[in-house]
Amino acid sequence: MFNQLLINGLIAGAIYSLVASGFSLIYSICKFVHFAHGVVITLSGYFLYFLFSKLGLNFWFSVILSIIFASLLGFLTDKVVYKQLRKRKASNTILLMASVALLIFFESLILLLFGADVKTIGYIKISKGIEIFNAIITPLQIVIIIVSIILLISLFLFMKKTKLGKAMRAVADNKDVAETLGISSEKIYSWSFIIGSAIAGIAGILVGLEQNLEPTMGTNLMIKGFTAAIIGGIGSVPGSILGSFLLGLVENFGIWFLPSGYKDAIAFIILFIFLLFRPQGILGVRR
Amino acid sequence: MLITKNLTAGYKGIEVIKDINFKIEPGEIVAIIGPNGAGKSTFLKSIFNLAEVYSGRIYFKDKDITDFETHELIYYGISYVPQGRLVFSNMTVLENLEMGAFIFNDKKLIKNNLEHVYREFQVLKRKKDELAGNLSGGEQQMLAMARALMQSTELLLLDEPSLGLAPKFVSEIFEKVLKLKSEGISIIIVEQNAKKAVEIADRTYIFEDGKIALEGGKEILKDPRIKEIYFGGR
Repeated sequence: MFNQLLINGLIAGAIYSLVASGFSLIYSICKFVHFAHGVVITLSGYFLYFLFSKLGLNFWFSVILSIIFASLLGFLTDKVVYKQLRKRKASNTILLMASVALLIFFESLILLLFGADVKTIGYIKISKGIEIFNAIITPLQIVIIIVSIILLISLFLFMKKTKLGKAMRAVADNKDVAETLGISSEKIYSWSFIIGSAIAGIAGILVGLEQNLEPTMGTNLMIKGFTAAIIGGIGSVPGSILGSFLLGLVENFGIWFLPSGYKDAIAFIILFIFLLFRPQGILGVRR
Repeated sequence: MLITKNLTAGYKGIEVIKDINFKIEPGEIVAIIGPNGAGKSTFLKSIFNLAEVYSGRIYFKDKDITDFETHELIYYGISYVPQGRLVFSNMTVLENLEMGAFIFNDKKLIKNNLEHVYREFQVLKRKKDELAGNLSGGEQQMLAMARALMQSTELLLLDEPSLGLAPKFVSEIFEKVLKLKSEGISIIIVEQNAKKAVEIADRTYIFEDGKIALEGGKEILKDPRIKEIYFGGR
């Protein structure tokens, strides 16, 4: 039982971390809550469904197109919506409202185009789980954990070692000073959306394969990802990853004691505890 | 080297400085002093295109740079060190310096500049892997200056480098400024510490209410009008 819950917690944590890291990356650089990040996840899942299940394209080709699509979508929401608002000196609250509007708009669009019923991508046939240490895990779940770990490590190295990654951290740290050194913050904003949304695209594909597609799936994931980001320290990408795994583990171990219907309640109780006693999160800095 | 003609600038349509005619020759240190709110920092920012210019022109080496973007100015050899020792506090000292050289892609040039900066500021070399946020105030100011020097600068704009620093560091900062001058860098320094600034400057402008009230050499502090500018009501 313990091992099974541990593995379930890790799988949930891996998925949350894919949601939270992209969101946190965008937040740390652009300094506003991009809730529509959730719907980028959903859209990439549906895009894969459309290309692979409807049009019958090659699976891997469809996957790559879906990631590019997610990236482009993030880039365009920034350019078409957020940038225009920033130009008009809109406050971060206005940007947050706009992102909620975008979320609802795209969710409704999916409802309109694909209907409310659950869609199955159906690439992976239902497979028997593998037994490891008395716990059952499916091959797809192993892939989810491995992909998320590889992605998060590459994101970390990218931010630490490359010039663009460092410039992104510089803008996150102090946008005005970065500008005086010749770093264009608008360009960096675009990059944060491109990279953050690509990670969201990958999350959408993996979740779509694991749990099937629903128009609201991204919103639900976003709420969890957001919770994880706050627990870990909002604005800190490593913090959001730590928060994700913590959240995944606590949720799953919580149902050892409580009925499984309380899973979400457990997540939000942790959120409240953190907001009350450590609002800056685990790795966040008190300002 | 840099000349402004009838420069009027400010923020959001409000004119903070009016009709400023300013000049700095190559290799000079020019100090700008004056009471709070006189527009000293705004003047520096308007040169670096961080404030809105409403009328007048700015010339750098006989080239009209009034409409140049901030990052273009860096290429032309003008660097700006903002007020309040602004460093990237979550990045290491070395990363801060690398960001100073963001506009360059030539690795060899960056390395040479880095070595030069390390020679000038040995404390930064010792602490290159520490987070900039953990440095002392004086060290952070050194880092902010060093970061600007990574840009192979010809004209350095320093906005209140001694603000809020311990006296020991204030002297050190001013010594560095003199050292930079000896290397041929022209420096415009805005200062609250009027006495020290005038001491190291070749010429001094005194700003009052967004205008140049007085201009002169080291004798400027003996001018009887100083009292009126700093303390006189109107």
